[in-house]
Amino acid sequence: MNCRECTEHLYEYLDRELTPQVELEIRDHLATCPPCGDHFDFEKLFLDFLRARCRARGAPPELKRRILDELLDE
Amino acid sequence: MTPPTPPVPPAPSPAAEADKRASFEREALVHLDSLYRVALRLTGSPADADDLVQETMLKAYRAWHQFERGTNAKGWLLTILRHAFINEYRRRTRHPETVDIDAIEPFSVFEEVQDEDPQGTFFERIVDDEVLRAIDQLPEQFRETVVLSDVEGMSYEEVARVLEVPVGTVKSRLFRARRLLQQKLYDYAVGMGYIKGNAGNAR
Repeated sequence: MNCRECTEHLYEYLDRELTPQVELEIRDHLATCPPCGDHFDFEKLFLDFLRARCRARGAPPELKRRILDELLDE
Repeated sequence: MTPPTPPVPPAPSPAAEADKRASFEREALVHLDSLYRVALRLTGSPADADDLVQETMLKAYRAWHQFERGTNAKGWLLTILRHAFINEYRRRTRHPETVDIDAIEPFSVFEEVQDEDPQGTFFERIVDDEVLRAIDQLPEQFRETVVLSDVEGMSYEEVARVLEVPVGTVKSRLFRARRLLQQKLYDYAVGMGYIKGNAGNAR
């Protein structure tokens, strides 16, 4: 696998959406190609960062109470 | 001649109602945080998100007998939520996109920063609200794809089912949406002085 093919699969690889065979080929390429390795690390860090920043908050507690009250009226 | 009166369905017993409520709480209500986060990003307003989630939960409860036990309740609920949003909220909250999203070709932030900050540590200095604001500025089709995939951790297949588009579309939207988001956050970081950036470089 060359760098271009590897980069084409970047997000599918990070999202664990590839077949085990292709995943293995990419892992082999990343192990021997530092520039691609850096690029993949950067994108992974970005996705982890995104998830962490956006999941901090959930539904307000009053909302859950309102929904439960409403279900009781059904 | 009067038509035959349809049989009146028997009223559910109190025990059956209690069972229904218990299973709904166990399998549907546990996804409340996810529904709220998605609703907030779709509507852009906490009050509308509240109403949208409440309405979704009520609709889901009424249709609970149609939900196939053991399948993906989160996906099922999000589909109901999205339909409710499209039918009732989109018109009055946000305007449909007029930009051609296929024409968006964002640059690679990694290439911009690989000399100065290849580890992307500047991202760490960007706070929650700024990230959420950047997501809210994405075109709706990108925004919903990113939220379901990156925030809620759904697979391409699950996202495709909720958005009712082919998996290939999810992939290409996700690619553009992430690039666009990176670009917005990078521009913000440059503006804040978190990173020098390639000011003046032709993109």
